Amino acid sequence: MSNSILSVKSLKKRFGGLEAVNVDSFELYEGEITSLIGPNGAGKTTFFDLITRFQSADSGSIFLNEKNVTKLNSYKLARLGMVRTFQLTRVFDRMSVYENMKFAGSSIKNEGFLKSLIQTKTLKQQEDHLNVKIDETLKLLNLIEMKDSYARELSGGQKKLLELGRSLMKNPKILLLDEPLAGVNPKLSEELLEIILNLNSQGINILMVEHNIDAVMKISKRVVVMAEGKIISDGKPDFVRSDQKVIEAYLGSSDD
Amino acid sequence: MNKYFTAFIILVLSFFYIFFSNDSGGGRVFVNLLTFAGIYGLAAIGINVHFGWTGLLNFGHAAFMGIGAYTTVLLIPHSLGREGVVISTGLPLPLAIILGLIASALLGLLLGLPTLRLRGDYLAIVTIAAAEIFRLLVRDFEDLTGGVYGIIQFSDSLQNSRPDFITQFSENYNISSAQLWVGLLTWFSIVFVLIILARLKKSPWGRALRAVREDEDAVRALGKNAVLLKLQSFMLGAAIGGLSGIFLVFNYGTVQASTFVPVLTFYVWAALILGGVGSLGGPALGAVIFWVIIAGTDTISRFLFESPDGQQLAGVRFVIVGLLIMFCMIFKPSGILGDKEELLLDVK
Amino acid sequence: MIEQLGNGLLLGVIIALGSVALSLLYGVTRIVNFAHGEIIAFGAIMTLFFSSSPDSSLLYLDRFSPLGINFIASVLLSTVLCGVFGGLLELLLFRPLRKNNFGNIAVLVVTIGLSIFLRHIYLLFASAKPTSYILELQRRQDYFGIQLTPRNVQVLIVGFIVMVLVGIFLTFTKTGKAMRAVRDSSELANVSGINSDYIILVTWVFSSMLAGFTGIIQGVINNVRWNMGFLILLLIFAGTVLGGIGTSFGAMFGGFIIGILVQLSVGLQFMDGHTEAKNAIALALMIVILLVRPQGIFGSKDRIS
Ligand SMILES: Nc1ncnc2c1ncn2[C@@H]1O[C@H](COP(=O)(O)OP(=O)(O)OP(=O)(O)O)[C@@H](O)[C@H]1O
Ligand SMILES: [Mg+2]
Repeated sequence: MSNSILSVKSLKKRFGGLEAVNVDSFELYEGEITSLIGPNGAGKTTFFDLITRFQSADSGSIFLNEKNVTKLNSYKLARLGMVRTFQLTRVFDRMSVYENMKFAGSSIKNEGFLKSLIQTKTLKQQEDHLNVKIDETLKLLNLIEMKDSYARELSGGQKKLLELGRSLMKNPKILLLDEPLAGVNPKLSEELLEIILNLNSQGINILMVEHNIDAVMKISKRVVVMAEGKIISDGKPDFVRSDQKVIEAYLGSSDD
Repeated sequence: MNKYFTAFIILVLSFFYIFFSNDSGGGRVFVNLLTFAGIYGLAAIGINVHFGWTGLLNFGHAAFMGIGAYTTVLLIPHSLGREGVVISTGLPLPLAIILGLIASALLGLLLGLPTLRLRGDYLAIVTIAAAEIFRLLVRDFEDLTGGVYGIIQFSDSLQNSRPDFITQFSENYNISSAQLWVGLLTWFSIVFVLIILARLKKSPWGRALRAVREDEDAVRALGKNAVLLKLQSFMLGAAIGGLSGIFLVFNYGTVQASTFVPVLTFYVWAALILGGVGSLGGPALGAVIFWVIIAGTDTISRFLFESPDGQQLAGVRFVIVGLLIMFCMIFKPSGILGDKEELLLDVK
Repeated sequence: MIEQLGNGLLLGVIIALGSVALSLLYGVTRIVNFAHGEIIAFGAIMTLFFSSSPDSSLLYLDRFSPLGINFIASVLLSTVLCGVFGGLLELLLFRPLRKNNFGNIAVLVVTIGLSIFLRHIYLLFASAKPTSYILELQRRQDYFGIQLTPRNVQVLIVGFIVMVLVGIFLTFTKTGKAMRAVRDSSELANVSGINSDYIILVTWVFSSMLAGFTGIIQGVINNVRWNMGFLILLLIFAGTVLGGIGTSFGAMFGGFIIGILVQLSVGLQFMDGHTEAKNAIALALMIVILLVRPQGIFGSKDRIS
C-alpha cells in the first residue's frame, strides 16, 4: 500500500442536534482515485468543507503530508496543493471564462498591490505565459469557444467544467471534486472521466464525491461510503458494491 | 458609445442650466459647482474602489475624509478653536497631505481588520458607526480639533502655491481665485488618481479584486487570500477619500465638527450610483450631475416653503438624495456610465 | 455611577426592544434594514401627532394640526400604523425586489436610501425640534436605590411584558414557530410547506409594530425628534452584534447591556466633560466585539461569514 498523503482523525461536526460528520479515521493514499459516495445528506460535502477548512470542525485533526493543518486557513491549505471544487458551482459570474482561468493561474506575487502598480516586464511575461496553459486546458474541457463569454452565460454543466479547469490552473497535488458529473451530459461525462483518469496518471491524487455509481465503480481504485456522517464502508469497488451495510444505507433501512 | 453620448448631453444641458439660471455671476456659480463636484467625485471614486471593484459596503466615508483632512490641517500652520490659538509652525503641505492619506488608510486598516473576515453587512454597520464615532469625538475633544469652533487660517499653505495667472484670470472673470485653485487641483488629482486606477484595474491585482467581489469562497479555494485583498482595496479607497476630504476643507477654508457629518457619505453614494458603479470615470461624472440636481432642489425648496431656512434646504436635498439612491439602485444600478454587463443586482 | 443605573435600564429597554425587532427581520429576510430607525421614529411621531391637543402651540407639523386623541389610544393606533407601514414596505418595495432576484447588498443600499429619504421627510414635516408628549411632569423617586419616575417604572414594566409576549409568540404560536423555521433555514422551510412570502410579510408587520412601539417608549422617556431613529439604530446594531445577530434572546440581552453600559460610562472619570462620547464608547465596544468574538455572546459561528 502506498503512502498516506491526507489523514483525518476523529473529525466531528454538528449542526444543532444533527451530527453531520463523525469520521473516526480517513486516509487518502498517494496515486489513487478515491470516490466518496453516500445517500443525500450523508455529510459528504460537509466532510469536504471540513478537510479544506471552509468550515471548522468541532473536534478532530487533519494532516496533509504529515503536517498538521487542522487550524490552517482554507487559502493556505489550497496553496499546499489541495484544491477543491464546489457542489453548487462557483464561477466568477461577471468575469469572462478566460479571466476566470487567468485569475486562477496568476501567481500570488503578481497579484501584490505594488507589483501590480509597477507592472514590471517579468510580470507581463509571466501573465502572457499563462495563456498557453489556459488555451490548452480550455481545449481539453471543450470550453475554448466560450473563452470570451461571461462565465454567467455558461450552462450549468459548462460551469462545472470551468470550475474544474480553474482548479487545474493551480497544478494541484490533491484535487477534491464535489459531484463533477452532475449536470454534465452523458457523452461529456465519458470524456470527463477520461480526463480525470488522465490527470490521475499525471500524478494528481483525486478524491471525488459522485452520485453516478457506474462512473464511480468504473474509474475509482477505492470507494468510501458515508451515511449519516459516518464512514460505513471502505474498500475496492467490488467489495463496496456487495457490502450489506452499503445496500442498507442506500435502501434507507438504516433507521433502527 | 451610446452611454458616453448620453453623458455628454447631460453635461451640456447641466451647464446651460447653470448659466441661464444664474443671471448674475454665472462664472462664480460654475466654479463653485465644479469644485464641489470634483471633491465629491473624488470621494465617490474612493467608494467605487470599495463597492464597485470589491463589493465592500462603506457607509462611513465621512470618517475617512475627515481623518485625512484633520491630520493634514493639524500638521500645517493653523489657528484653533474658540480662543483662536495660533500655531505658526508646521510641516510642508505635501508631506502633511501624505501623512493625511496614510492616516485615512490606517483608519481603513483599523476598521477592516475586525470586519473584513465577516459577512459583508458587518462592514456596513461598522463603517456607519465609525462615522458617528468620528463626529462625536471631533465635537468632544475640542482641545485637539477645535470642536464646533473648528480650525481656521490654514489655507495659506495651499494658496501660497497659486500661480499668478490664475489670480489674474479670476479677477478678470469675477471668480474666487482661492476656489478656482482648489477646484483645478481637485480635477488634476482626479485625472491622476484615475490614471493609476486604470492601470490597477487591468492588473492582476484588479482582477483579483473583481474575483473577490464575485465569490470569495472560490477565491479562497484557489489559494488566494481574500481578506488581504479586501483590506488593500479598503485602505486604497479610504486614502482616496482622505484626499477628497483635504480638498473639501481647503475649499471651505475652515473645518468644524459639522464639516464631516455621517450624512456627507450619502451625498457621495448618490453621486456614485448616478454615475455608474464599477466604471472608472462614472463617479466623477455622477458628482457633476449630482451637484446640478442639488442646485435644482433648492428651487424646489423655494417652491415648497416661502423662504426656506437652512434646515429646510438641507431636508429637501436629502429627501432627493435618498430617492436618488433608491431609484438608481432599483431601476438603473449601472448608472450613466456603468457597464450593463456589470449590473450589481445579484451580489450576495 | 449608581445614579445612572436608572437611565441605563431605560435606555436598555429601548435598545433591547429595537434589537429584537431588527434581529427578527434580519433572521427571516436576511435584510439588514437601515431604515429600521425611521420606523422607530415613525411610531413616536405618529403618537405625537395623534395625542397632542389640536390647539397646542406645538408646531411640530406646520402642515397638519394634531388630533388630540387619548394618549393610550394614540399609542395603540400608532403601533398598528407602524405595522401597516412595514407591511406596505414589504408589499410595495421589498417583495418586488426579492422577486427580481436583488441580492442582499443591493437591497441593503436601497434601505439606506429609504432611511435617508424618510428621515428628512420627518425633518421637513414633523418635529425638527425635540418635542415631548403632553404628559404630566413627574419627580424621580427612589426604587431600591435606583432613581426613576413612576412613569419610568411603568415603561420598564410594559417593556418587559412586551418582551415576554414576543418570546411567547415566537416559541408557542404557529406563526412564531414558522418564523423561526424560516430564520433557521429558508430552504428547509420551503420544503416543509411553509409559505415563506406570507411569513416574511407577517415578520415585516410584526417587526415594524415592535419598532414603532420602541420609538413611542423612547419618546416617553426622552422626547420625539426627527432623527431619533438614527443614533438609536447604531446602538441597536451594537446590541445586536453583542448578543449575536439572528438570535432573539441574544438581541434582548445585548441591547440591555449596551443601554446600561452607555449610561454608566457617563460616570467614568475620564468621561468628565465628554458626555457626547458615551455613545462612541458603545460603538467602539461593538467593533472590539467583532474583533474578539464576532458571533456575539449567543450567536453561532455559521451565521457570520
Ligand atoms: N450549514 C448547515 N446548517 C445546518 N445543517 C446543515 C448545514 N450544512 C449541512 N447541513 C446538514 O448536514 C447534513 C449533511 O449535509 P451535506 O451537504 O454534507 O450532505 P451531502 O452528503 O453532501 O449530501 P448531497 O449528496 O445531497 O450533496 C444534511 O443533513 C444537511 O441538512
Ligand atoms: Mg453534497
